[in-house]
Amino acid sequence: MADDTSGPGALDESTENAALDDALAAEHTAVWGYGVVGAALGAEARPAAAAAEAAHRDVRDQVIALLAGRKADVIDAEGAYALPFPVLSEVDAAALAAVLEDGVAAAWVRVLDQSAERSTRELAVGVLGATEVRAVGWRAAAGQTPVTRPFPGLPET
Amino acid sequence: MSATPFPPLPAFSRRTLLAASAAGLAVLAAGCSSPPADPRETVTSEQADELAGQVAVQESLVAAYASAGAADPALAAEVAELAAQADAQLTRLRAASPGATASPSSAAAPAGADPRAWLREQVAATATSHATASVDQSGARAALLGSIAAGLRGQDGRLA
Repeated sequence: MADDTSGPGALDESTENAALDDALAAEHTAVWGYGVVGAALGAEARPAAAAAEAAHRDVRDQVIALLAGRKADVIDAEGAYALPFPVLSEVDAAALAAVLEDGVAAAWVRVLDQSAERSTRELAVGVLGATEVRAVGWRAAAGQTPVTRPFPGLPET
Repeated sequence: MSATPFPPLPAFSRRTLLAASAAGLAVLAAGCSSPPADPRETVTSEQADELAGQVAVQESLVAAYASAGAADPALAAEVAELAAQADAQLTRLRAASPGATASPSSAAAPAGADPRAWLREQVAATATSHATASVDQSGARAALLGSIAAGLRGQDGRLA
């Protein structure tokens, strides 16, 4: 049952579904992007990319099932995505992984902002935490500082 | 086949942006005495109380950083950035919870001979507290608490 206030602009299943569909788009992007990341990493770092890709596949499948169960729009994955920068080294790969996780975090914070259902917020906050833990590792691998962020997924001020 | 650009960053509600923006803090504070600009942002007294409680939780974490740093100066230098981020989180939480009042530090001195492990426990517990509270909130408050909880999960990983 939705648990937010009613009235104009109230959070409801439609606002939640729209945010979930955007989160699904971000998960599709992450799954695709980790293929690029893994290909550019050495053998030592590749398992981390594979684990991250698997985690995003799991979340993707959860969101697809949730939206399909509501007969809501379910965005499909694209065949390919334009990389934000060339990935020519392991550092580039780690930086791309951080970008992927940051994109996913922004989408799931948006879900928190738009959700009417408690269960959806539970899903969102869990995904968000896992995403930031991975992002910290990738930022460190990419040599970025600081490696932690106080407000993952929220716009920079 | 043409490649699709990475999805753009999502749009946020005005209140979420205000919650994330130091410049918007005064506007958020004013919201407690005037009609909400966004009708979704109606706050129940229970939600307001819980958010004020999370301010106290974050205050304890900020104090924990100070306590751990006092016990281990090398650790203090190492975690200075994390401590500053915890303080920034507290600032925004206070701004989002105009009814909350600053309380004296309630953090105990680090227990045992391992201030780092103790500090990590405090960070993890605070993250869990904010994550749990996020689920009980909605709109911008849920987004802010969830984001802070995630940030602290990242800090926990960094302290490991």
